[in-house]
Amino acid sequence: MKIAYYPGCATHGLSKDVDIATKKVAEVLGLELVEVPDWNCCGGGFLDEYDEVAHVALNLRNLSQVEKLGLNKMATPCSVCLHSHRLATYKYKEDKEIKKKVDKRLEKTSIKFDGKVSAEHIVWVLIRDVGIETIKKNVKKPLNGLKVGTYYGCQMLRPEQIMGFEQAYNPHSLADLVAATGATPVIFPTMTSCCGFPLMGSNPKAGLKLAYNVLNGAKEAGADIIVHPCSLCHLQLDSLQIKIQSEFNVKWTMPAIYVTQLLGLAFGFSPEELGIGKLAMEVLRVKGVI
Amino acid sequence: MQEQEVIFKVKRFNPEKGFWWQEYKLKVDRFTQFTEALRRIKSEQDPTLSYRASCHMAVCGSCGMKINGEPRLACKTLVLDVVKKYNSNIVTIEPMDYFRPIKDLIVDWDEFYDRMFKVKPRLYPSKEVLEGKAEHRLKPEDQKELWKFAQCIWCGLCVSACPSVRIDPEFLGPAAHAKGYRFLADPRDTITEERMKILIDSSWRCTYCYQCFNVCPRDIEPVTAIKKTRSFTKLYKEKSEVAKRGEKHTEAIFESILKTGKIAEAAVYLKTYGILQSLIDLIYMSKTGKLKYALVQERYVQNIDEIKKIMGGESK
Amino acid sequence: MEKIEYDAVIIGGGLAGLMSAHEIASAGYKVALISKVFPTRSHSAAAEGGIAAYIPGNSDPNDNPDYMTYDTVKGGDYLVDQDAAELLSNRSGEIAMLLERWGALFNRQPDGRIAVRYFGGQTYPRTRFVGDKTGMALLHTLFERVSGLNVDFYNEWFALDLVTEDKRVAGIVAMQMKTMTPFFFKTKAVVIASGGMGMLYRHTTNSYINTGDGFGIALRAGAALKDPEFVQFHPTALYPSDILISEAARGEGAILKNNKGERFMAKYAPKKLDLAPRDIVSRAIITEIREGRGFPGGYVALDLTHLGEEYIKERLALAYEAAKNFAGVDAVTEPIPVRPAQHYYMGGIDVDIKGRNPDIVGLFSAGEAACVSVHGANRLGSNSLLDTLVFGQETGRAVVEFLNSSPHEPTSNFEKEAEKIVDDAYKFVKSESGVHFGEILEKLRDVMWDYVGIFRDEGGLLNALSEINKLRGMISNMYVTDKSKVYNTEFFNALELRNMLDLATVIAKAALDRKESRGAHYRTDYPDRDDNNWLKHTIAYLRGNTVEIAYKPVKITRWKPEPRVY
Repeated sequence: MKIAYYPGCATHGLSKDVDIATKKVAEVLGLELVEVPDWNCCGGGFLDEYDEVAHVALNLRNLSQVEKLGLNKMATPCSVCLHSHRLATYKYKEDKEIKKKVDKRLEKTSIKFDGKVSAEHIVWVLIRDVGIETIKKNVKKPLNGLKVGTYYGCQMLRPEQIMGFEQAYNPHSLADLVAATGATPVIFPTMTSCCGFPLMGSNPKAGLKLAYNVLNGAKEAGADIIVHPCSLCHLQLDSLQIKIQSEFNVKWTMPAIYVTQLLGLAFGFSPEELGIGKLAMEVLRVKGVI
Repeated sequence: MQEQEVIFKVKRFNPEKGFWWQEYKLKVDRFTQFTEALRRIKSEQDPTLSYRASCHMAVCGSCGMKINGEPRLACKTLVLDVVKKYNSNIVTIEPMDYFRPIKDLIVDWDEFYDRMFKVKPRLYPSKEVLEGKAEHRLKPEDQKELWKFAQCIWCGLCVSACPSVRIDPEFLGPAAHAKGYRFLADPRDTITEERMKILIDSSWRCTYCYQCFNVCPRDIEPVTAIKKTRSFTKLYKEKSEVAKRGEKHTEAIFESILKTGKIAEAAVYLKTYGILQSLIDLIYMSKTGKLKYALVQERYVQNIDEIKKIMGGESK
Repeated sequence: MEKIEYDAVIIGGGLAGLMSAHEIASAGYKVALISKVFPTRSHSAAAEGGIAAYIPGNSDPNDNPDYMTYDTVKGGDYLVDQDAAELLSNRSGEIAMLLERWGALFNRQPDGRIAVRYFGGQTYPRTRFVGDKTGMALLHTLFERVSGLNVDFYNEWFALDLVTEDKRVAGIVAMQMKTMTPFFFKTKAVVIASGGMGMLYRHTTNSYINTGDGFGIALRAGAALKDPEFVQFHPTALYPSDILISEAARGEGAILKNNKGERFMAKYAPKKLDLAPRDIVSRAIITEIREGRGFPGGYVALDLTHLGEEYIKERLALAYEAAKNFAGVDAVTEPIPVRPAQHYYMGGIDVDIKGRNPDIVGLFSAGEAACVSVHGANRLGSNSLLDTLVFGQETGRAVVEFLNSSPHEPTSNFEKEAEKIVDDAYKFVKSESGVHFGEILEKLRDVMWDYVGIFRDEGGLLNALSEINKLRGMISNMYVTDKSKVYNTEFFNALELRNMLDLATVIAKAALDRKESRGAHYRTDYPDRDDNNWLKHTIAYLRGNTVEIAYKPVKITRWKPEPRVY
């Protein structure tokens, strides 16, 4: 099946491994990812506070590019990009004042949004459109014995009115995917808490504390590693983990990998092929996965 | 009327005993609200059960609690809806998170009230208007915008669900910001400078997790009020460190998108943190093997003119 | 017992209580406001439709305060003290503009001035509104304003009883609910603004906190209630939760239909139809249901479907949400199930036009707890919010006047009286067996609904009195299981029940004695209005367990009683 693909700036930047892993997994599953032509930034979760109208218009541009391809679903691996597009379409539909202002900015452009394209998370596509059964069929290396904390973050779940794929307080999409690989999903109290990434732009100390709470929660629940569904959580929890360790005087490691990186391992790819980072590789080696 | 027996597991509390769970059985129908269920349990089975409830129509804000782990108003929640959603005839009721428990489902709201009073939650019109010597009209669209945020019923659910209030004593919390913004944005108010002093630094301490948006029973979107408060930062002179950094960060993002259509991570990082912090973080990233991605050059948007048009032309 | 001293103490933190506090504090006096809930939880928040106001320069060009007074007097079936109604109308514009200046977000016309709409019983449209939540908006605005003044708030404190000396107020005993600690508030002026009593009835739109505490306190102190038999029933309460579906729905064009699809109000009020006063519509609905033209379960249909989705979602958001959330009904496509429920109490503590009670010096009352009487035998919609603010302000000013006149200082210490009040309250907790408050309460609510409700007759009322007496007997056998000293809600529920029983006795007796029908008081055995014998106010005292009834003339200024046809 064919679906539009929106990587987002982080997924093509510091979280490039998310892009690599997602594309490999999609190929195995017969999911053709068509990159949105000439896509622009979604705003990174910050543009709407600076210029609300520009934010909506920019996100509609991406969706109108998808419409031009004749596709009606746009999958993204980044929860923030997902949230941004869905928030933009929600505002455009519900708020007459905003719609008027946005239409004015779009006047002399080629952008047309008829409401036919929806932004989806790659996790939703895997579960709803590809199906757990198909995923299970492609597992070549079951990850038995690996305890994987399922971390959802915020933007994929909340608010329910705009996201709506699963319950914000009782999600299980990641647990289903983890179980499909043969690993053991581990739930923990902070699994739907914020990783703190949005705070890094203004109050990084508090942002790191939130990240620490997530990792600590998983550690105390007995997880070996955690998976997450967001390129920006990836930055926060993986790239900055050493910083968190030093800030909070932590002796343990709780590596964080993107959900398609876990699927990729189960499908038989090597961790180098999937761009998995050093911290995760160490734990995977110890656990006998690689 | 179709009736069904439901088991209510209530987390009770008193200072001598601490916490304990107690179960009650009750027959309910499709219209039974949780407040009605609690009232019947208290009147018919256990008069010692303590909870706050008053209007039973989601306008007084008394009955906030956690139902099956979700922060909700008890009156706005129908028992059988929860039974259906979780596919179980056992439902749990607990007091709201974060606030200190006093008795059963009653929590101490004093801290919540302190936050609200901190933002000076009242209009300060000009002297002439107060004395009736001048009139201040309000445009219909302003009334609509302000009324959205003025609908807060002080239920406390958003604060109980907010992660930032728990770790940052400088953050006023979602409800206080919605209330504060309602007055900050009111054209008839005369203490804007003072309000900015109270609100702006705190507004940069929100982590955009959308918990408040998700739980608010009056659809107020406190996080939206916080975003709009941040846009006042450019009007305020005595910015704190946190506000300055946040403002630089957001401006850097805007400029990057205006110039290239994408976020050039390196540029934004430098503008926000400066060269020293950026280098330190780069070293941390290298230890996790991420350095190879740090200097990836992304393809910029080709139709950059369209981007510029959408963004209104120049930087603000 | 610890003692705290104030110039004035207000019981009740709703609109009337807050407005009084505003006046008294603004005059520089030391004032305490005792409320059993945080003030924004007060029942004032539930008012939906709006506040009637004649604003000079911003009203229907044909309207004037006299029309407003006439509408109020006629709507009250001529039991209204007309000087009070005149004050209400003449002050209405000023008070609405005052709240507006304080920031109340009234809906606007395109030119930025306050908008206006029709409400039941009005000759010309004069109701100002904030969406569908005017009460909540005004309550919050007023509370926000008063919280910035020098008023001491005692929130979640329960007022037990008044202490008097020689028929003068000496103070009030109240308990902090969190710690169960009693305090004696030494004061010369007390304003009872504790609201209504809907919880006496099986079906009510009122909040759980409306247990008529102020009436019990006043009666036990020796003050009279005026017109206690006049209880308003609102025609459109959502079935079955009894959540109010605002009259505004009918103001915006909603239509009541029976199970035959007929607009039955044409039979009962040919001119005003669905916007006839509430008692007329309530009786019409019950009649339709009794005569077999209602729906199974006992309700009729309120049809909004012809108003269109956008209009409904903008002007009737609360009604739409209520129907959806609490009855699973989408008002855009289906009619809303409604039936009458108790809604407002016209009766109350006997006060004059300045809120002063004649029985006890220093006792004042305002809002729903008071009976001036400005609503007479039936209240018009959007007059209650106005009443609380206008008479809250008047009463506050009267308290200031009273304090300025250096009233008499009480002589005794009152420790004994205060201790006795607390001991009487604690008698329930000390018991080791007996009846729980719930058993007595549920029976009371059914007795009141069945026999002292929309349709009354001698047999039913006598039955009610005898049942209520039995329940009063049961109170001496009531006990509280919860012995805890922290926020003991069961204890306070028992005290509320005591207040409710005192009030119920008075209401039933007064209804039995009034052998006519007027406004909301309808006797099937005396179905006509009898101005020759009954154009007078009932004055009721409770001496121990006996109700003592007297009568007082109605103040008539310009409007002679006419037949009440709509």
